[in-house]
Amino acid sequence: MTTAIENPAESALDPPPQAPHDAELPPRHVATDALARLFRPIRRHLVGCAILSTLGSAAGFAPYIAVAEIARVALASTELASVSATLWTWTWIGMIGAGLRLVLVFASSRLGHYADARTLHDLRVRMIRQLGSLPLGWFRASGSGAVKKRMTTDLEDMHLIIAHALGELVGAATAITVGLGYLLFVDWRMALVTAGVLLVMVVAYRIAMRSMSTHMNRLLTAEERISAASIEYADGIAVVKAFGTGGRILERFNTAVRQHTAALGAWAAETRYSTALSRLCSAEVTVLGVVTIAGLIFVHNGHLAMAELIPFLVVGVGLPTSIDPAIQGSLGVRKGRVAAGNVDELLSRPPLPEPVRPASPQGHQIELDRVTFSYDGVTNAVADVTATLAPGTITALVGPSGAGKSTIASLLPRFYDVTDGAIRIGGTDIRDIPTTELLSSMSLVFQDVMLLRDTVRENIRIGRPLATDEEVQAAARAARIHEVITRLPDGYDTVLGDGGGLSGGERQRLTIARAILSGAPVVILDEATASLDPDGETAVQAALAELAVGKTVIVIAHRLHTISAADQILVLDDGQLAERGSHEQLLARNGRYARMWEAQLHGRSA
Amino acid sequence: MILRLYGLVPQLGLMLRIGALQASLAILQGLLLGTLIPILRALLRPEPDFAAATPWFLLAGIGLLVYGVLAVISTPIAFTANMEFTAKLRHRLMNHVAALPLGWFTQERKARLARAVTADAGAIAHLAVTIGGPAITATLVPTTIIGVTFAVDWRMALLFLTIMPIAFLALRRAGRIVSIADEELEEAATHIAGRAIELGQAQPVLRAAGQGSTGTTRMRAALDEHRETYRRGLRKSMLPDLTYTAVVMGGFAAILIAGMLLLIGGELPIADLVALLVLAVRFLEPLGNLIELIGALRAMDNGVGRVRAVLNTEPLPTSPRPVRELSGIDIALSGVTFSYGGSARALTDVTANFPAGSTTALVGPSGSGKTTVTRLIARFFDVDSGSVRIGGTDVRDFDPTVLLNDIAIVFQDVYLFDDTIEENLRIARPDASRTELEEAARAARLDEVLNRLPAGWATRVGEAGSRLSGGERQRVSIARAFLKRSRIVLIDEAASALDPENERAVSDAIAELASAPDRTVLIIAHKPSTLRAADQVVTLDEGHVVEVGDPTTLRESGGLFAKLYDQYEQARGWRIMTTVDN
Repeated sequence: MTTAIENPAESALDPPPQAPHDAELPPRHVATDALARLFRPIRRHLVGCAILSTLGSAAGFAPYIAVAEIARVALASTELASVSATLWTWTWIGMIGAGLRLVLVFASSRLGHYADARTLHDLRVRMIRQLGSLPLGWFRASGSGAVKKRMTTDLEDMHLIIAHALGELVGAATAITVGLGYLLFVDWRMALVTAGVLLVMVVAYRIAMRSMSTHMNRLLTAEERISAASIEYADGIAVVKAFGTGGRILERFNTAVRQHTAALGAWAAETRYSTALSRLCSAEVTVLGVVTIAGLIFVHNGHLAMAELIPFLVVGVGLPTSIDPAIQGSLGVRKGRVAAGNVDELLSRPPLPEPVRPASPQGHQIELDRVTFSYDGVTNAVADVTATLAPGTITALVGPSGAGKSTIASLLPRFYDVTDGAIRIGGTDIRDIPTTELLSSMSLVFQDVMLLRDTVRENIRIGRPLATDEEVQAAARAARIHEVITRLPDGYDTVLGDGGGLSGGERQRLTIARAILSGAPVVILDEATASLDPDGETAVQAALAELAVGKTVIVIAHRLHTISAADQILVLDDGQLAERGSHEQLLARNGRYARMWEAQLHGRSA
Repeated sequence: MILRLYGLVPQLGLMLRIGALQASLAILQGLLLGTLIPILRALLRPEPDFAAATPWFLLAGIGLLVYGVLAVISTPIAFTANMEFTAKLRHRLMNHVAALPLGWFTQERKARLARAVTADAGAIAHLAVTIGGPAITATLVPTTIIGVTFAVDWRMALLFLTIMPIAFLALRRAGRIVSIADEELEEAATHIAGRAIELGQAQPVLRAAGQGSTGTTRMRAALDEHRETYRRGLRKSMLPDLTYTAVVMGGFAAILIAGMLLLIGGELPIADLVALLVLAVRFLEPLGNLIELIGALRAMDNGVGRVRAVLNTEPLPTSPRPVRELSGIDIALSGVTFSYGGSARALTDVTANFPAGSTTALVGPSGSGKTTVTRLIARFFDVDSGSVRIGGTDVRDFDPTVLLNDIAIVFQDVYLFDDTIEENLRIARPDASRTELEEAARAARLDEVLNRLPAGWATRVGEAGSRLSGGERQRVSIARAFLKRSRIVLIDEAASALDPENERAVSDAIAELASAPDRTVLIIAHKPSTLRAADQVVTLDEGHVVEVGDPTTLRESGGLFAKLYDQYEQARGWRIMTTVDN
């Protein structure tokens, strides 16, 4: 009854912003299982919701029945005064019924919405917990966009099922049962006629919706393209303006819009008759016409008293309207089920196994022992790499792109687990070290800076939550970022938003400050300076130098000069370890590394 | 609201057609219900008088037929309207933003644009058609019924008439509160969305800090806030929602009681009462449905507001008599002051000349205004005061397309469209011949890349060009500049960390671009080699020009340029160590 907190903008035909495969409907039983699992905690609410809705819907018929009965009683009597008591009784029944319906349907809807508020919260908490235990590699593959979609759009789509569909469905079922039941009691032939109209309506609707999933998928794919094209246009707007040929790029957008229109048009054309028929049958005027005509024929033939026609005019005419919401809502329910499937899929993903018998590393020596890893189970991204990284030394990973440098860097913090071989820190297999302990023992400085939407202070402090303000500032000074922070509007209390306020180099230095504060003995630098402007680079280099002191450092860098002082250089090619040694040793070897060095020297002087 | 909708897509004919159809359907529905009165009067007697009812039957039959035809006609029309409306709105949005200054396109606004183009445009059209119809029905059917009722009994009609405005008042209140609650909840959801992104991006940090399974305090706060907002919305809307439903139900009770009193008092015949009660039920039912619609209508209105916010942004003004040709390629900035709308000035009183055919290196620390200078030349923004002239003509006097036809820009972060390399090049000149493409590729050192790729020119570059490396993307961008044969080229030299092979290729390509004597080139430069090769250096600091001169002289003068030059050299010589170096 109430639409208190609705978001119909999110309903009906709006596009899910993700890949088209999300739009495909999962097999029915899977989605149903998912719903059952997700709704288990609020099943009492839902049952209560259904019961209230049933009672409310049933009570809602009292006024109609009262009107019909008043008419029948009044018509049947010759002297109104003699039946006035009965008439007043029906009046009261009607009014009480109306009041009950008001309260019950309202209560049902409220219960549904409160259950929705609770489920949203609980599921989000569960999702966060689940996300915290997934292999980190999942985030790289699916992206934070997927996390966002699961936590917002998908859950909001499920809202339709919890807060609306259930009540509407139960309400419609009750309406049909009570309404037709009463009409059957009045006159079974006329009841059948009324039921006939409803049947035609439902059948026509089913025909209209027969090919819905195909059409829906086409529509959703087109919507997806429109969305992608508009985002692309906005992202590439500088290019568009610079070349003044926006029309060409807009064309892609126009095509997507045309496809969307065509998909919608095809659907409309295919179902125009069945849609019109179902619409016609659900109009109260149609029911009125059919009931009146059939009724009068029966009256004319003497099969029906005129007074008995009244219930059909009052109750029968209202039946299509009462089941309409349930039918209209079915589209939303389908969407909700897809969303529930997505959410359930995330929640039932196997987490990264935590160690059964957790062990702590003894020391910080890292051993790569015949490390092999494959992303797809077919080709190895890293094959049989063995190396020892001693504490207090720098190990550089070099090689052409795709050689496996970044893969090795991401195996250490367990973004993925090795497919074969082992990685040990301080003699302990990293798979036996509890996640928090493992991750807090290393500082990751990657190209994509990981900042929280929190104050500058908290962004540094998360490296060591118990650090004092003085320690936070000391780390910021060491990372050459203190001066920058003090110039921010709120200094250390400035809240970081979407990139606002700090340049790329400054953001990078902030994460280095965090790493310095954490004092983690292992430092992994993956192209840490690659995306910086040169103005920022010098400062970041100074910060990195500070960070590296006394740590076990693994570094990946384009420019060989950067790592020429490393204690050991591992030259990778196609996932294999091709050469190893110090810069001087490798130059003397006159192999792959020497050639790369030569090429770069040449490049510099060009 | 209808006016606002009309403002979005001026499709008067279409809107009128649908509105008229819906309105006639609603009025017809009310009238058809009205024919029940004479029919029931004729038939609800001890001896039904079919003869008296017959003309009304015929009338109702015809009405019903018309109704059926109209209903069948209106379904595809509504559908088409939905499609056209959505498509028009989408086109309008896209065409509008194409004319907006580049400064408008922040991350946040881009997200808002995408939302407006997809979700909002779709929802507005969908709701305008699917909710608009029922809203008209829910208003006009009761109105028609009131009119019909006057023909039967004026007292009852007055009662009907009183109920409607009360119901509408209650409805407005409920609608307002729903709308506020809706916006608040939307905002709370936006917070969560932001946090969810962070949760995905900073997962390793969170886990290292032991917050992997709980999220940050702020995340938890955002979740609690959302639940609280949701509940608060429910609490706040409870009374108005209940009030509205109570008004409708109270109206029913009043009609019932009044009818009974009139009947028992002998002032209303039974047949009339029966007819009136049937009408009363049909009168109240659509009113009751309005509360369902109001939430959707409000949401549509919020969507319309978001779309209008985009459409109301002013594009850069165009000159009434635009200059259609460049008379020269020398560029002059005189007394240019500019700020990006915030408090801080990006450029203050900048005066600089870039002679025709010369190559100028723009140098300065980050945030000194180098990029702003190039943006003002290409008129991505307009200066606050002072002027930018090309060939003696103020850039604001040029036809915008002419200006951009003669200027090629090579960005630092090159954005490529998810298409083939060839298509990405053709953006510069759609009708370029194969030879011209090949030549541009060769000059930009893109040919090496093309030769290496199995699909060559037909290689798809992936989303935003992600399948190519940074250096390769920049080569595509330089090739565009060659292909365009622009006489003015603005280059933002790539950051330091290209891999050596790309770095060499890119600087060779830039050198070739700069060497042409009929081309004015501006390079935002960081590499010592580029700096040395420039004809002229302009050094900027905090939005001011601090040095102008040739690179050799400036290096010897020991000013800011010399300092930066040394810094760039030093950065390239840096090595990472486990002990402090110096």
